[in-house]
Amino acid sequence: MGAGTGASETALSPDEARTAARAWLSDHWAGVDDENWRRALVTSGWAAPTWPVGRYGRGLSRPSARAAAAEFDAAGAPGACVETAPFHDNPWMYLLGNTLLAHGGQAVCDRYLPRLLTGSLTHGCLLYSEPGAGSDLASLQTRAELVGEGEYLVNGQKIWTTGGQEAQFGLLLARTDWDAPKHAGLTFFVIDMDSPGIEIRPIRQITGDAEFNEVFLTDVPVPADAVIGAPGEGWRVLQVALAAERAGMGAAARGRAEGKAAAGTSDLAVLRAVADDLVEAARAAGRLNDTVVRDELVKILSWRLTNTWTGDRAAAEIRRGPSSLASLGKLAASRVLHAGTDFAYRMQGRASLVYDVDDPLAYPVDRALMFAFINSIGGGSDQIQRNIIGERVLGLPKGYEPDRGVPFRDVRKGSATRPVSQEKRP
Amino acid sequence: MIREFSEEQLELRQTVRRFLAEYSAEADVRRTMATASGYDQKTWEAMATQLGLHGLAIPEEYGGQGFGWVELGIVLEETGRALLCGPFFSSVVLAASALLESGDEAAKRRYLPGIADGSVIATVALPGGGGELDVAAELVDGRWRLTGRAALVTDAHVAHLVIVPARTPAGLGLFAIETGRPADGAGLTSAMGANAPTGAAGRTDTVGRTDTVGATGAAGRAGSDQTGFRTTLRPTLDQTRRLADIDLDAVTAAAVGDPTGGEAILARVLDLAAVGLAVEQTGGAQAALDMAVEYLKVRVQFGQPIGAFQALKHMAADVLVEVETARSAAYYALSAAADRSDALPVAAPLAAAYCSDAFVTAAHQNIQVHGGMGFTWEIPAHLYFKRARSSQLLLGEPAFHRARVAERLGL
Repeated sequence: MGAGTGASETALSPDEARTAARAWLSDHWAGVDDENWRRALVTSGWAAPTWPVGRYGRGLSRPSARAAAAEFDAAGAPGACVETAPFHDNPWMYLLGNTLLAHGGQAVCDRYLPRLLTGSLTHGCLLYSEPGAGSDLASLQTRAELVGEGEYLVNGQKIWTTGGQEAQFGLLLARTDWDAPKHAGLTFFVIDMDSPGIEIRPIRQITGDAEFNEVFLTDVPVPADAVIGAPGEGWRVLQVALAAERAGMGAAARGRAEGKAAAGTSDLAVLRAVADDLVEAARAAGRLNDTVVRDELVKILSWRLTNTWTGDRAAAEIRRGPSSLASLGKLAASRVLHAGTDFAYRMQGRASLVYDVDDPLAYPVDRALMFAFINSIGGGSDQIQRNIIGERVLGLPKGYEPDRGVPFRDVRKGSATRPVSQEKRP
Repeated sequence: MIREFSEEQLELRQTVRRFLAEYSAEADVRRTMATASGYDQKTWEAMATQLGLHGLAIPEEYGGQGFGWVELGIVLEETGRALLCGPFFSSVVLAASALLESGDEAAKRRYLPGIADGSVIATVALPGGGGELDVAAELVDGRWRLTGRAALVTDAHVAHLVIVPARTPAGLGLFAIETGRPADGAGLTSAMGANAPTGAAGRTDTVGRTDTVGATGAAGRAGSDQTGFRTTLRPTLDQTRRLADIDLDAVTAAAVGDPTGGEAILARVLDLAAVGLAVEQTGGAQAALDMAVEYLKVRVQFGQPIGAFQALKHMAADVLVEVETARSAAYYALSAAADRSDALPVAAPLAAAYCSDAFVTAAHQNIQVHGGMGFTWEIPAHLYFKRARSSQLLLGEPAFHRARVAERLGL
C-alpha cells in the first residue's frame, strides 16, 4: 500500500479542510463501510488527517481535522480522523502510532500504520519490564542478535505484560549491544505476537485473578526492518512511547474527575461529590458524626480535590511546554488511593473481612484496597517518582551510579527472580 | 514487663519455631488455606500432644501444664510469624480464656481438658467492636435455648464447642453450645461424655463436619449438626483465618458462669483476646519486615542492592521502629495478663491498637519494597498483608481500642 500518495495539501484552514473533505466524500462515499472504504480512507489520508503527509496523513492542524471530521460525521461516513480519538478508545493509536511517526522508517510504518488506521490492529502489549529490570528498566537483558541478512533472533523474558494473551503485536525493548553502557545498547522493535518462539504465561496476582503475564521469548525471528529508530537508540524511542502512555493515563484521570464534576449541579456540589463514597461508608457505619472520622474523611477529601486541581494546572502547563506539575500527580494519587481505600476498609468494620464476589459492598472495597498498590508500584514506583521529581524537577544531583558509562557486560546485573506464572498458556 | 526471657522460655520459642518451620512452612500454609476445613489435623494434633502447646497456659487441674500468658504469648508470636492456619487462637486463646474467666467449675472441668489435648476445637462468638451479636437465650423447661445469629465467628465451621454471648431477660450471659460434630481425636468422647456422637455413626458424617469452601474462596456451604445449629462459612480476604456465621434456632445450650454476669466476663475475654492477637500480630509484622529486609539485600537494580538506597533503607528502619514498638506494647500487655495486673484493661486495648497498625504498616511496606513481585500471588507478601488487614479489624478497628484506652484511663 502506498503511503498517502493522494494527500498533498498541507496547512489547510478549517474551511478549506471542510471543502476538501466534502469534495472527497462526494467522490468516494457510497454509503458502504467495508474494507475498500477503509483502505480508501487510509490511502487518501482522511483516516488520520493530522498525521504527516507521507505517513498516511494530510498534515492538517487539529482544528482543520475537526472541521473535516464534522463533514464525515454529517455524511454518516465512519472511520475518518480516528487518530484523534480519546486514548482509551485505542491506546495503541498513540503508543504505537506516535512512536512510529516519531522514529519509524518507511517499511515498518507501512507494515503497521494502515492496519492501525483501518481498525484491524487493536490489541498490543508492552514488552519492556523484565524480572531483573523493573525500576532499573535500562538494565534489561533480553537479547536481540542480528543473524545473517536482515533478521534478528530475540531471546529473553518479559514480565507484567498486560493483554499479552490477546496481543497482535508487541512493543519490545531489547539489548543489541553488550559493549555499550546500559542505555546505549538498547533497540526498540515492534514484533508480531504470533511469531514462533513466544510463550505467554499468566501471573496470578494478589486478588487471585491473572491480569498480567510473563512472556518468554526463545529464538523469536524478528525482521531487521521491525526496528523503530536505529539500533542502539531504543532508549530515546522508548521515551516517545512512555510519554504517550503517561499523557494517556493523565487524560484518563482528568476525565474521571470531570465526569464526577459533571454530576454536580453547582460548584459546591462538585466539591462534595468527590468523597461521596467515603461519606457513605462512614454513614453506613454510623460514624459520620464521630469527630475523628470526620477529620480523617475531610483530609482524604482535601487530597482528592487538590490532586484534581493540580492536575488541571498541569494540563494547562503541558499546553505551554514541559510540565513539572505533571510529575507530581501519580505520586499524589498513591496517597489518595491508599488512604481512601484504607478508610473505607476500616469503616466497614468486620464486614471487610469477607471477600465474596457476590457482596456488593465489601468486595469492591477489598479489591480497591489491594489495587491501590498498582498506582504506588506500577508505571514507576513511588520511590522512582520521587527520584524523577528530585532530579528532573528540582534539579538535585543524581545519586551514585556504579554502572554509569560502564560497558553493560561488566555491569552488576539485576537479580533474576523465579518465574511467577502459575500455569502454561492453554 | 518482660524485659528478657528465661532460658526455658527461649527454649520454648526455639522449639515452637523449629516445629512451625517444618509444619507451617509457606507451602503448608498455602496448601492448608486452600482446604475445606482450613487447618491441618496432623499439625493440630502434633501441636497439642507432641508439644503440648494447647494446654500450655491451662492449669494442671484442668489437664493443662499450668504455665501462663508469657509462655502462651511466645507461642502466639511464633504462630503469627508462621501464619499458622487453624483454630489455635479460637480454641486456646478465646475459648479457654472464656472458660477460665467464667469461674464455672463444671464448665472448666467439662471442656478444658479437651481443649488442652486438642480433641475439642472451641471458639467464642466475640462481638468484635460492633453490634453484630443478636442472640437471645430463653429458659424452657429448665434448659437454655438460644435463638439468633452470630456473624463472622472464627473457626465456628469446625468447632465442637461454641461459646455464645446471649441476652437473657435478666442480662447478658455466656452459653456453651456443643455442636455435635464428631471429634477426630479420642479425647472428645472422654471430655464431652455422652453428648458427643459415638463411633462410626458420627464418623460417617465427616463431610458434613466442615463447611466446604473452594480454594479460591467460593461461598461456603451451610453445615448443620445439632438441631437448629447451622454454620455458614464465609469466603475471607485472609484465607489463613476462617470465619463462619452461626444461625441458632432454639439450640440447647448450657450457661457458662452466671447467666447474667456475661458482660464482665466478656470484657475480660476481649482484653485477653486483644493481648493474644497483639503478640500474634507482632510475630507477623516481624516476618513481613524480615522478608522485606532480605529482598533489600538481594535485589539488585542500578548496579547495587536496592537496600543501599536511602529511601528504602530509611523505610525499613522506620518499619523496625514500628515492629519493636509493637513488641513492647505486646510484651507489656502479656505480662499484665500473666500477673493479672490492674493495668491490663489499659494495656490490652493499647497493644491491640498499636500492633494492628504496626502489622498493617510492615505488611504494606513489604509489598511496596517487592515492587511488582509484591503484587503477585506467588510470593507470600500478600498472605501477610491479608492477615494484617484481617487482624486489624477482627476484634474491632484500632480507633475502637484507643477509645477504650481513653475510657479506662478515665479521660
